[in-house]
Amino acid sequence: MTANDPGSCRSTAEFRATEFKDGLIREIPNLRAFAASLSGSMQLADDLVQDTLLKAWSNAEKFEPGTSLRAWLFTILRNTYYSLYRKRGREVQDSEGTYAERMATHGNQESHLDLADFRKALAKLPEEQREVLIMVGATGLSYEEAAEICGVAIGTIKSRVNRARTKLAELLSIGGVDDLGPDRTSAAAMQRVGSESVGS
Amino acid sequence: MSNLDTAMSEPGAGDNDDFEMVLDPKVQESIGRSLKAHYDDIVNAPVPDKFLVLLAQLEAIEQRAAGVSSDDRK
Repeated sequence: MTANDPGSCRSTAEFRATEFKDGLIREIPNLRAFAASLSGSMQLADDLVQDTLLKAWSNAEKFEPGTSLRAWLFTILRNTYYSLYRKRGREVQDSEGTYAERMATHGNQESHLDLADFRKALAKLPEEQREVLIMVGATGLSYEEAAEICGVAIGTIKSRVNRARTKLAELLSIGGVDDLGPDRTSAAAMQRVGSESVGS
Repeated sequence: MSNLDTAMSEPGAGDNDDFEMVLDPKVQESIGRSLKAHYDDIVNAPVPDKFLVLLAQLEAIEQRAAGVSSDDRK
């Protein structure tokens, strides 16, 4: 915007602000994916990301350069979710169903069904298990970072991840090797998720 | 990650305790792939413009404030 303004020599503070802003922009896709995983709704996820960006901006001086911006932002997002969004999330899911049923997928068509089934199963996990499974299994955060974000011991993270995987395998009916053929996975998952969609 | 996976795929460990339940490595792998597919699908989705607009506005406000203070110095 003002980068090519000829008269202005950019100050250190301005430079840092721009760098911080670029960092935030780079993390938006990850923030959206984490927020959607937490709230189960893309619409809520985007509200949550907006709140997170505003809070991050106004607390920029609290971020320590050299540490993980992603972990810092996830902490803000997670705290915001638990203090403000959790209840809304349930209401939205009750009235509209989860994003799993509504969201357009951007991957290839073949994986569409599998993905929708997986998301339904993921949404059934207890939040504390779902969030760590996502952090550790998909975002590239370490167990240590996940432990710090959640404010619990690493051992707790590990056992939550284990429980989450076991529960998912159960929900998707992929408990044994025999169920795991490439074609049979989705059939088994569909059958199972379909029959359990009213329960728990 | 790898230590945990090894521990988990050890057969017969703690089968009466559900969070130490043994998961087949192939099942873990399958879940891992699905997790990434779910997450990356959203990561790769187009980012709504409103976020970039918001950050540009925040930056503009800050630059205006900085501009005022540097004008004061002159």
